[in-house]
Amino acid sequence: MNAIETVNLRVWYGEKEVIKGVNLKIPEKVCFAIMGPSGCGKSTLLRSFNRLLELNENARVEGDVRLFGRSVYEMDAVEVRRRIGMVFQIPNPFPHMSIYDNVALGVKYNKLVNSKEELDEVVEWALRKAALWDEVKNRLRDKASLLSGGQMQRLCIARALALKPDVLLMDEPTANLDPVSASKIEELIYELKEELTIVIVTHSPAQASRVSDYVAFLYMGKLVEVGRTEDVFENPKNELTERYLTGRMG
Amino acid sequence: MLRKLKERIFLCSIAIATFLTVFPLFHILFSVFSKGLPVLIEGGVEFLTGTLAPPDDGLGGIGPAIIGTFVLTFLSSLIGLPIAVLTGVFSAEYPNSVIGKATKTLLLIMMEFPTILVGLFVMNVLVLPMGSYSAIAGALALAIVMMPYVAVYTEQALKEIPFIYKEGAFALGLKRSIVVFRILMGMAKKGIATGILIGIAKVAGETAPLLFTAGGSSRIYFAGLDKPVGAVPLLIYQLVQQPYENYHQIAWGASLVLMLIFLAIFIPIRLSIKEVKL
Repeated sequence: MNAIETVNLRVWYGEKEVIKGVNLKIPEKVCFAIMGPSGCGKSTLLRSFNRLLELNENARVEGDVRLFGRSVYEMDAVEVRRRIGMVFQIPNPFPHMSIYDNVALGVKYNKLVNSKEELDEVVEWALRKAALWDEVKNRLRDKASLLSGGQMQRLCIARALALKPDVLLMDEPTANLDPVSASKIEELIYELKEELTIVIVTHSPAQASRVSDYVAFLYMGKLVEVGRTEDVFENPKNELTERYLTGRMG
Repeated sequence: MLRKLKERIFLCSIAIATFLTVFPLFHILFSVFSKGLPVLIEGGVEFLTGTLAPPDDGLGGIGPAIIGTFVLTFLSSLIGLPIAVLTGVFSAEYPNSVIGKATKTLLLIMMEFPTILVGLFVMNVLVLPMGSYSAIAGALALAIVMMPYVAVYTEQALKEIPFIYKEGAFALGLKRSIVVFRILMGMAKKGIATGILIGIAKVAGETAPLLFTAGGSSRIYFAGLDKPVGAVPLLIYQLVQQPYENYHQIAWGASLVLMLIFLAIFIPIRLSIKEVKL
């Protein structure tokens, strides 16, 4: 069964159509990259998966998004977002909260644990998964704003993982990080895709080729090409894809 | 040469205009201190705790008015702050809804609304039916004056939070109430606190809304919510109208007390604003 499937998905911002009928099947427990030039609709597409588009009053969605076969638009938005975690382009841990509280927050208010001990365990588990535990274990009560950019981004990953989601959406997670921090995040993606489905949006073909099993190329709101990453990179079927991959567009 | 001269004249006129603008402030500070301080020293602690002296016979104290100001400020905060903060949250969260837009506009009008009309309104709905001036009527009038300030500051503070934090919070599968009250308000707490202090400072010094509502009291400290109550600005207003020399002196002393109360609220505001604008 596919983790995520879109059916004739169209998205408008006001009068402007930004996603123009996308049909996409994302298999379970893979890293699926969506690449394309800036403004092609990558981030919008990603936000339609967890219904985060609804925060934007101008956005209108047509078609369907299915999470393991079930339409997310028939589910409660809160439940959808609990099962589909998200990491953003700009690291956005809540700066007024401690490192611990940032990770614990979602777990606590979604009532996923029954005791303080359980919560402690989940926080440690999530921070270990996000390869941040060793760096912060002695300063869990420090404000999250004291971390470096790379650490903040891993904290956001831990925060999302703590809810034990089935799918993790990543919207250009390394775009604002230095190369060392970025490579740590990429290593993390490698490990995490064993356990959950990762959908990563990137404008960098190089990153897509490094981290993903499948790749989709989006251009002007349309899906141009999709397939196994090595196939698309070695033998692009569409001329647009080839131009993008060889750096003649983008 | 002519150009330089023109520039000089321009600079000089700006300097003069600036001076004229801020001069009254310094003049007020200076005259309140120079005339009020001797009264405060002469009256001592008695001046802050005692009751008003008879005409032409010493200073006595302004205790009832000070207590009244604190009671009125506290009560009006109790009534006004929760409503105002919720109103601010509403217009920040639903800025494009019809009610949201209307709320924002009405708040801005309320902010500039003549406060004496607020006093008249409360007199009509509370004082006349009750048949007496009262602390609760004064507090209600002050609450109405306070609310738009607090609501607008709350809205502003919430709106200044970058959208990415809101997205991040919703992406965790949190309900809107938790996103707003636990996360966004936590992030905006300095801005909201500033708004609350500005609202309090505003009403602590108000006179007009109290004229037809609180009634004033200079000899009885506090008799109950349904009884008239004093307030420092109201007392000043009443004292200067009297023909007695000692009452004018007491008014100066009371002015200094009022200014100190105001500064005690206002200085933390300035400091906290500095912290908000990083």
